[in-house]
Amino acid sequence: MANKSYNAFEMAQAQFDRVADLIGLDGATKDLLRYNLREYHVSIPVKMDDGTVKVFRGFRVQHNDARGPAKGGIRFHPMETIDTVRALAMWMTWKCAVVDIPLGGGKGGVVCDPHNLSMREQEQICRGWVRQLARDMGPLRDVPAPDVMTSAQHMLWILDEFETIHGARLPGFITGKPVGMGGSLGRTEATGYGVIFTVREALKELNIPPGDTKASVQGFGNVAQYAIELYQQIWGKVVCVSCWDQKDQTSYSFYKEDGIDLGALRGITDRFGGIEKDKAKKIGYEVLPGEAWIEQDVDILIPAALENQITKNNVGKMSDRVKIIAEGANGPTAPEADNVIKERGIFLIPDLLANAGGVTCSYFEQVQSNMNYYWEKDEVLGKLDTKMTSAFNAVSELAKKRKLYMRDAAYVIAVGRVAQACKDRGWV
Amino acid sequence: MTDRKNKADDLVHFFREREKELECLYNIEELLVEPDAPRDKVFRRIIETIPSGWQYPNICNAKLTIGSESYFVPGFVETPWVMTAEIFVEDRKEGEIRVFYSKEMPTADEGPFLKQEKRLLKTVADRIGNFILHQQLLEAAEERREEQPRESTGEWRVILNLLHHTDRNLFESVSEKMLNQLCWSGVAEAEQLRNTLAPADLDFEAGPEWEANKPYQIHSLEITDRLSDEIFHIATKEYTNEQLLAFLRKWIQDDRLGYLLRVGNPNISLAEVIGALRQYRDTSPKGSDLSPAARKGVVVSLITRFLSRQLIFINVAKKYIEIRDFFEILDRIIYTPDSHGQLGGKCAGLFLAQQIIKKSYGTDPLFANVKVPKSWYITSDVLLGFLRYNNLDEVIEQKYKDIDQVRLEYPHVILTFKNSRFPPEVIQGLSMVLDELEGMPLIIRSSSLLEDSLGAAFSGKYKSLFLANQGTKQERLDALLDAIAEVYASTFGPDPIEYRAERGLLDFSEEMGVMIQGVIGSRVGHYFLPSFAGVAFSRNEFRWSPRIKREDGLIRTVPGLGTRAVDRVSDDYPVLVAPGQPGLRVNVATEEIVYYSPKKIDVINLETNSFETIDARDLLRLHGAELPLVEKMVSIYDGHSLRKPMAMSIDFEHDDLPFTLDGLIGETPFVKQVHGILKLLEEKLGAPVDIEFAHDGTDFYLLQCRPQSFSQASAPAPIPQDIPADRAIFSAKRYISNGRVPDITHIVYVDPLKYGELSEREDLVAVGRAVGHLNKLLPKRQFILMGPGRWGSRGDIKLGVNVTYSDINNTAVLIEIARKKGNYMPDLSFGTHFFQDLVEGQIRYLPLFPDDDGIVFNECFLLGAPNILPEVLPEFAHLADVVRLIDVPQATSGKILKVLMNAELGEAVGILAAPESGGERIDTPSIDGGRPSDHLWTWRLRMAEHIASQLDPERFGVAGFYVFGSTKNATAGLGSDIDIIVHFRGTEPQRQELVLWLEGWSLCLDEMNYLQTGYRTGGLLDVHIITDDDIRKKTSFAVKIGAVTDAARPLPMKKKS
Repeated sequence: MANKSYNAFEMAQAQFDRVADLIGLDGATKDLLRYNLREYHVSIPVKMDDGTVKVFRGFRVQHNDARGPAKGGIRFHPMETIDTVRALAMWMTWKCAVVDIPLGGGKGGVVCDPHNLSMREQEQICRGWVRQLARDMGPLRDVPAPDVMTSAQHMLWILDEFETIHGARLPGFITGKPVGMGGSLGRTEATGYGVIFTVREALKELNIPPGDTKASVQGFGNVAQYAIELYQQIWGKVVCVSCWDQKDQTSYSFYKEDGIDLGALRGITDRFGGIEKDKAKKIGYEVLPGEAWIEQDVDILIPAALENQITKNNVGKMSDRVKIIAEGANGPTAPEADNVIKERGIFLIPDLLANAGGVTCSYFEQVQSNMNYYWEKDEVLGKLDTKMTSAFNAVSELAKKRKLYMRDAAYVIAVGRVAQACKDRGWV
Repeated sequence: MTDRKNKADDLVHFFREREKELECLYNIEELLVEPDAPRDKVFRRIIETIPSGWQYPNICNAKLTIGSESYFVPGFVETPWVMTAEIFVEDRKEGEIRVFYSKEMPTADEGPFLKQEKRLLKTVADRIGNFILHQQLLEAAEERREEQPRESTGEWRVILNLLHHTDRNLFESVSEKMLNQLCWSGVAEAEQLRNTLAPADLDFEAGPEWEANKPYQIHSLEITDRLSDEIFHIATKEYTNEQLLAFLRKWIQDDRLGYLLRVGNPNISLAEVIGALRQYRDTSPKGSDLSPAARKGVVVSLITRFLSRQLIFINVAKKYIEIRDFFEILDRIIYTPDSHGQLGGKCAGLFLAQQIIKKSYGTDPLFANVKVPKSWYITSDVLLGFLRYNNLDEVIEQKYKDIDQVRLEYPHVILTFKNSRFPPEVIQGLSMVLDELEGMPLIIRSSSLLEDSLGAAFSGKYKSLFLANQGTKQERLDALLDAIAEVYASTFGPDPIEYRAERGLLDFSEEMGVMIQGVIGSRVGHYFLPSFAGVAFSRNEFRWSPRIKREDGLIRTVPGLGTRAVDRVSDDYPVLVAPGQPGLRVNVATEEIVYYSPKKIDVINLETNSFETIDARDLLRLHGAELPLVEKMVSIYDGHSLRKPMAMSIDFEHDDLPFTLDGLIGETPFVKQVHGILKLLEEKLGAPVDIEFAHDGTDFYLLQCRPQSFSQASAPAPIPQDIPADRAIFSAKRYISNGRVPDITHIVYVDPLKYGELSEREDLVAVGRAVGHLNKLLPKRQFILMGPGRWGSRGDIKLGVNVTYSDINNTAVLIEIARKKGNYMPDLSFGTHFFQDLVEGQIRYLPLFPDDDGIVFNECFLLGAPNILPEVLPEFAHLADVVRLIDVPQATSGKILKVLMNAELGEAVGILAAPESGGERIDTPSIDGGRPSDHLWTWRLRMAEHIASQLDPERFGVAGFYVFGSTKNATAGLGSDIDIIVHFRGTEPQRQELVLWLEGWSLCLDEMNYLQTGYRTGGLLDVHIITDDDIRKKTSFAVKIGAVTDAARPLPMKKKS
């Protein structure tokens, strides 16, 4: 019975198998990529605040580093399993490959619940974890970053311990550091801008001037706000945004025929993208139910909030006018809805590509840290544009050439690049 | 010549006389300073010496009388030619000295005597007086030096002698008390003495006679000097000199402070009590002159008069309160002349807590800055005086009216009270308060007698109001009177009356004390606010980690006024800390910390004279630098990480500064202080406590202390024993909090085994969606959610059902089931994914460990009862294996499920039982006193229903009237509007008329809401008018009608006539 149950790693392998078959990958390469190259299991004894000693279990998985040092977060989770970590490490490999950054995929974790740990105890876990793994990681081998329930603070503890062990300052060992402590500028804007870089290229391809287009955005958080900012800079008009209303425990859509005023809306928005309904009404926004964002008569839909938002129930409500869907969020489209989108021939920019701005910026952070020279924000965002544009072009060209759905094309390109690197190195 | 010679002779005579007088005085002086000279001898020599100072020494005789003794020379005779001087010892006449001429002589200044002689005699008399006093003191000193033997005189004897001479009554009383003391100690000699002197009929040996119904004949003692001597003679055999001295001192003090002992008389007015206390304060400022027993008696009397008549309270209070502790409040009590009132429960609790802290932590530097704000008190019966003064006595009968009528009339009561006048002495008192607190914002707190006798259970029922206290004296006074009237009116509000009716307390004669306090805080911009404030509980009923024990307590704190921590607000969160485990925080991920940080601040606006809720970010941007301790309260958030600011490093204009209070918790003694206070008060008061506090950046102020409040829903529930197996659904013994949910009609059971077997991610996600749909459909707080592992798991969906808070926010209990897998037990989340939402929503959390020993987990019922999910949500029928929806009454022929949780016992059970109130609650949720927010939505719903019932569909052309949003979903807050959809089919004039009609309602409801809650929104109805066309196209809010989820609810309109 147990083998019947949902297993994240098996799901990731199944997805890989499908793509591998699509590109006709040879057996050995397939065998190599179905599993991770290396994984480490460590025990971390920690002296707790009450004087007792507790031993925590930690992992680090390096799925593939053929294209460059492995990269991936470190998670603190009470029910962490090695299979989850393996699946996430594989996902990182594809994610880096699709935007063509020279990094591989990795992931790590410690089985613990930070809710039950004081900061001092967490610090001991971080330092203990990296002491065990310091020989097998590093700026040129494997680069961790914050993830579930770990923050910049945890990263700085890990970095400090690592640097002490190696007797050198090595800021390139970690990404996700605060600006001033080896972090990169532009990180806040990166994902949202990245979405629009791909949208701009898609419009180019469809031969539609951005100034003639209208968009509707789900969500008004960081990603959505910067996506809207850049989209408006290229003369697009956002007529509708939706967001969660904490007070009413429901979502609303905010509609304005002649385009929303980003500055004005930001002024009445909390940190998490919740727009104040009453104030919005006062400044001329029509307040509609949360689902209304998808029904608008627009050219572009940008789901930039949660997963599973475009479903078989609402996919039919999309206007005929919709030409592009750019997945700013992770997994916003449910599989049945995906089929409808495919059939209707809407140009989909899959999450793997559309929201790759974040990981690209992390790569930039690592590059800057390694040379100990930090760029201005414009430089970061300029390089991001270049990277995203060429990534988009590669995927879209492949899709056209091979008549692939964009989502499939993204995977094909990612897996293809990693397989190629393995071959080039003579591994397989 | 002769003339001149005469003059010269006169002069010589004059000087000779003066010389004689001086000579005489010197001689007497020499006699008096002679050490160890026997008294008699000295006095005799004095009368021999005196004549030499007089003009005619040969015929001059003196007589000295001291007490009963007289001294004169042999052959002395009294004649008419006499002058007298009295002798005083310490202002008491001890005797006199007289000088006689034996025959008539020429008249001089006074008879035959010179005026100088008169002065001389007076001087001699004074010197003798001094001499006697000196001798007495010497004797006393001598006695003390000797101490032994027993018969010798002691200091006590000097005192007794003194009494004998000065205060006969006291002398007798003291002697009698001594006799009693001896008798009580069983000294046979003393008993004998008493019996011989005052033979009583009391004969213990006499048997039945003694018990006869006649009063005993008690003869009062007459204390003679001899008797007193005898008594003390016996006493000296029984007691040492020190003991006797102590007795005398005590009795003398008690007598002197007799006026103070009168405070025990319940008939004397408060004015007299306060007068007596003032007198005591002025005469013995240290308050230490009373005997311990008398002191205790007075303290208990004062506690009873001012604080509480509850024996439990008095019992504790008398251990920590001293008489002088009352000194500081004496001048801050406002009362009517005939007042017999008290200060009320809130004041009593605070006063006692203050004394306990002072006495226990007096010198501990950790608590050096723990203070209590300056307060003034209006005694509880001033309310009655106010009613009488305005002929409003009939308002008292309000409580016996039908509750709906009370509700209806309440706004009127408020208005009447606000238009009434206060007795002049109250106004005068308040005017003095305002002089002292000029320009300082005030809080007017209710402090009722019921709050006292019921502790926290009654809290929050009466009003507390903030006043900015700005403007002219008259304006400030008017505002203050207005506020007090409003607090008074709240005594007659529907909520407390309903609550009292439910608990059989209506007949209690409720009185309302009022406490006026300066608001703690500082001026920040044009606002006034404490740096932070909140509440703290000595028992933690919401533990987010198994490492946190109940005794670790809980602090809920917010920046600004504590109102946002005390009340639960739907759209904001306080910072939670367990003072015993400050390192274990509720929120760990950066985004969570920021998300659950307080976003709004309650302040007093000094410009608009009002209480306001403002945006925390706005306050920081404009006035951040002025807020004391701000660098300890905020963290700098760069969108990815949080950093504690270094001093001066904050850019208030640009930095994003969530209030994490990290610095406060980690770097200041605040948490330790609160922990210390909670532990101390719980220990001393013998029960869990909760406190309110505020901090102005320098000092920690205790604002309130009371037994820990349990709303009805969070009180420990009795756990029945011997539950029949078929009625028990589950039991639990780990990490139990308190709570009682008596009326569960539906169970949503996500089968852990079947959930674990789902192989498609899509199906796992669908389980979460199914739960979310059920959450909207099932009756609020009448269903429970039971599921595997960690509810709200995001990434690792296998670990628990993937839901957000809005998918579960209507459940009554969230249950996580941990089943053993192989030999390991999975961790549960303790609801951490939305822990603070659960706390604010008062949703109970319960972990189940079915595989533990001795635990009931009735899988037969959970898997065997009919599953109605496919009928309710056909689109999720394919998940019927995994998600089971059980209609409890249907599956058990009418029973409901009760969940009873008792943290004291560490036990919880879910049992099937007969419904308590006929099971009608599904359709008409009644108002639960424990959940204030429930009241808010029921009131709104009732009003919406009422409007619908008044709306004439023909007149306005209306086809349907619907309510949706927070009013329907039972999430309405203080300022929530009522979302209405009107399905309109009429003409344009009808539409205009309808809009106008609804506008009237809207304003009217807004006013009512303001009177009840203090929130004003400018119109409470949010009306959406839709047409047939909208419904056809499903545009705008028309989608809400008949929607699958979160549908608008139709309300019946006025019947067609």
